[in-house]
Amino acid sequence: MTMSEADKLAEEAEELDGYFSDAPLDPKPNYPPLHETFEDSVVITNLPKVPEAKVEKLTKVVLKLVRRIGSLAENADIDFSGLHMPYDKEKGSTLGFCLVEYETPEEAKNAVEVLEGYKFDKNHELSVCLYTRALKLRRLKTEEYQEAQMPEFVEKPNAMEWLEDPNQRDQFILRHGRETVVHWFDARNDPVIDYDGAREKDAGVAWCEYYCHWSPKGSYLATLVPSKGVILWSGKNYDKAGRFVAPDVKLVLFSPHETYLLTNNERREDPAAIKIYNVATGLLLRTFPLYPDNFPQDGPPPPFLWSHDDKYLARMGNGLISIFETPTMRLLDKKSLLAPDIHEFHWSPKANVLAYWAPERGNSPAHVDLIEVPSRKKLRQKNLFNVAKCNMVWQNEGEYLAVKVTRHTKSKKTLYNNIELFRLNESGIPVEMLDIKDAVMALAFEPRGSRFAMIHAENPSSTKVDVSFYDMMKQGDPISVKGKKGNKEKRLPAKHPELHKVTVLEGRQCTGIFWSPAGSNIILASLGDTASGTLEFYNVDEGTIVMKEHYRANQVAWDPAGRTLATVVSQPLEGGHFKFAMDNGYILWSFQGKQLYQQSFEAFYQFVWRPRETLLSKTQVEEVQKNLKKYEKQFDKADKERQRALYLEETKGKRMERAKYREVLARNKAILKRRRTEYVALLDGYDSDDDANFDIRDVLVETVLSTKEELVM
Amino acid sequence: MRPYLLQGHERPITVVQFNYDGDLLFTASKDLVPSMWRSEDGQRIGTFNGHKGAIWDLDCNRFSTRLLTASADATCKLWVLETGECLHTFVHRGPVRGVSWADGAKMFATISDPFVEHNAKIMIFDCPEDGNYSEAPRLEIDIPKVGNKRVNPTNIQWTAFNEALLVSFDSGVIKLYDPTNGELIDEIVAHEKKINRLRFNRDKTLFITSSADFTSRLYDAVDLKQLKEYKTDRPVNDAVISEHKDHILLGGGQEAMSVTTTSGKVGKFETRFFHLVYEEEFGCVKGHFGPINALDINPNGRNYASGAEDGYVRLHFFDKSYLDMKDPVPEADETDGEEEKTAAE
Repeated sequence: MTMSEADKLAEEAEELDGYFSDAPLDPKPNYPPLHETFEDSVVITNLPKVPEAKVEKLTKVVLKLVRRIGSLAENADIDFSGLHMPYDKEKGSTLGFCLVEYETPEEAKNAVEVLEGYKFDKNHELSVCLYTRALKLRRLKTEEYQEAQMPEFVEKPNAMEWLEDPNQRDQFILRHGRETVVHWFDARNDPVIDYDGAREKDAGVAWCEYYCHWSPKGSYLATLVPSKGVILWSGKNYDKAGRFVAPDVKLVLFSPHETYLLTNNERREDPAAIKIYNVATGLLLRTFPLYPDNFPQDGPPPPFLWSHDDKYLARMGNGLISIFETPTMRLLDKKSLLAPDIHEFHWSPKANVLAYWAPERGNSPAHVDLIEVPSRKKLRQKNLFNVAKCNMVWQNEGEYLAVKVTRHTKSKKTLYNNIELFRLNESGIPVEMLDIKDAVMALAFEPRGSRFAMIHAENPSSTKVDVSFYDMMKQGDPISVKGKKGNKEKRLPAKHPELHKVTVLEGRQCTGIFWSPAGSNIILASLGDTASGTLEFYNVDEGTIVMKEHYRANQVAWDPAGRTLATVVSQPLEGGHFKFAMDNGYILWSFQGKQLYQQSFEAFYQFVWRPRETLLSKTQVEEVQKNLKKYEKQFDKADKERQRALYLEETKGKRMERAKYREVLARNKAILKRRRTEYVALLDGYDSDDDANFDIRDVLVETVLSTKEELVM
Repeated sequence: MRPYLLQGHERPITVVQFNYDGDLLFTASKDLVPSMWRSEDGQRIGTFNGHKGAIWDLDCNRFSTRLLTASADATCKLWVLETGECLHTFVHRGPVRGVSWADGAKMFATISDPFVEHNAKIMIFDCPEDGNYSEAPRLEIDIPKVGNKRVNPTNIQWTAFNEALLVSFDSGVIKLYDPTNGELIDEIVAHEKKINRLRFNRDKTLFITSSADFTSRLYDAVDLKQLKEYKTDRPVNDAVISEHKDHILLGGGQEAMSVTTTSGKVGKFETRFFHLVYEEEFGCVKGHFGPINALDINPNGRNYASGAEDGYVRLHFFDKSYLDMKDPVPEADETDGEEEKTAAE
């Protein structure tokens, strides 16, 4: 044995000397801090899959991108850049994802928010999620994809069926007592009930427990049931067309094309007080709290407003307007529209143009801005001084915008008004100023027209006010033109844009003005609790006035055709004050001021005409007006036929009723006749039918009808 | 033609009634003196003096010789029509709300309000021609409280052949009593609110109720079935069935206590004319400036009287166009050409 066992051991021990030593190692190893979790890591997927040659380059690019968000957990010692890009040797390419580790979880969260949806290149939109979430996702069971079964096609009721009414009638809905009733009305005969919720009543439920609303084109009726939400009804039989969960719902707002529905329960503490639904699919798209962030909560919440084409939904915030794009309901271009000090805004009714105004702040004047969406281009800005308040009124075609500016004098003691008028369809959007010394109480544009009316008075609290009519377009004098045969002909030139006063009605009693949807006619109404209820039916073209009265009326509603209007005395559903109980009800008038129908209810809450789309263009309407005589005959004939059918029907019913009544009376009289002797006995034998009891005498009565004196020669 | 305004009363009118022949009109008010008027020219013939309380009801007999008045002074008085002399005073235990002659005028029934510890009571008194009036009624029917609530009657009427007594209540109920033994025969809930008046047509084949629930209802007097309903927008105080046409006259208006808060224009103090069968309102007569409490049509069909909270009685004469008015629905045997004409109108 050259070497003993002991030697070997000693040799080994020598070799391992210091190996198990307690002495600190030198140099100190630089361990990375130990993480209990992986919250600071994210997984980026949907990266391009590249061959080995390009891995380095891709890593570089991704590194550059992720470093913008925050610093990575780098470690030079172990040659870790904070990014790991797995590589599949078998396939010879990367796997299309990478792992990134940040220093803090906050940075990781931020990266998810910012990089999600980032367009990496033409074909790759990144998807980012937290590593912890990725782990969870991995645990999800993977099932083999099965093609979704298409549900069987169920035809929805035709929402436009009511427009096919052979009698061209309009509809309105009434909410009174516990009833909700849809009526037909043809402006001639009494309203006829179309549907009163009979099916629901039979099932022991009310189809509406709160207010009800028509959709803007009249396709749907939305009834509010606060315990559940909103129910939509449509079609001939008022079938359920949708249900939207929205507990305590107070308000609904359809988008103009009825694609979306907004519900609001007006609860401050509810983070989802406002809900946006897709009407057709019933999907909840997004929720909002009642107030936007940083918005003062002492005033009323700013309302959401739909753009005319359903594309955008906007709401005012603190110094900004948040515009949400449909159908994603994401913020347009991921940022709000800055509008410092904004007070109020409105969409144009026919274009994606926003008008807003902001009061004076420091040295910068108050201003009204017109902004185009989505370009955010400022179309027009108008600066104003000494402004106390502005009110904006659009013409319904979006051609004109009137801004009523309430100004104070330098001393800030007295207020006066002027009107700024924007012409949207002229290049450069010229603005005219109309100076009114009086206080202006109301202003309204003629629908589809160029005229507007306004109520003004020197003293806003006076009972007698003036109503002025202006036209944005002026008809010039006829000009002489040489005709074909050399004759002089007079021709009217095209209207040119020039503001001029049409007429003024002085010393009126009215608090509101209501243009007919067809134009030309306007109602000057004195509405409200303390007012007289005077109604003036004014035809602006003819200058004729018809005066009527509906005491305590608090609402005027034109039908969509401008044929009839309703004046209504109603009370709020909540609060239950019954001071109008005696007067509650509505009156239907023809546009000329003839009373057509009247109905009273003890508790009356709502009267709404069913809206419908105007399908004829301006030129088509003019065409119809030209050939009015032809149509008149046609409709008169149809009216007469209908009238006669109705009359015959009614007479038949009345005859039957009369026959029934006469039968009862005859039976009762027969009983009396049979027992006549009993009656005579009660009167001690006196029988009034016996002529012997009467003393019949002939009396001659002479009456001088007239006397006339004639001189006989 | 302008109506006669009978200004004989100083307080709200409670009842107006023509006699059987239609030549006399009786009126009573919350003042103490019922009056008698000539119905042709509105001249006052005389008054019946003696009551110490408001007069709630009166009834003249078939041959216009005796008048009964019911008063809040807890008495019912019997008067000689010709002289205005009070023949007898029937003492009750509470304000007398209603009085009604039985057919033949040998007895009459009264209804009195609950008063202090007494319940409402129906009493039937004999009224012999010899003038021997007994103090004690022939029959007394006690109307007990319902639960803890007093029952307030509003009207009493005899049905045909004196077979039963119809009593209306402020709960909207009508009860039918047997006048021989006082038993409750039948009970119908006619209205949701107070019944202000219940009255028969002349031959007692129909009766009509007027209620604070804004409606008036026509009943078949034989089987007590509701035939028709007339809807208004104000409380109805009185309604009367026309004898000459298929018409109903309704009177009422906003309640007296809330009148001060509204102008005369919106109180709807008008007499409304309804078609009996079709339940359609086709006209109204304005004039009063308080709710109409009482109405009656002259049996001769020439005029009608209305008495109101304003203390006036208005005697209106029907004009020719009303008297000539035909049923809006032609009889079935009339030609179809007639319908054509009406339809074209």
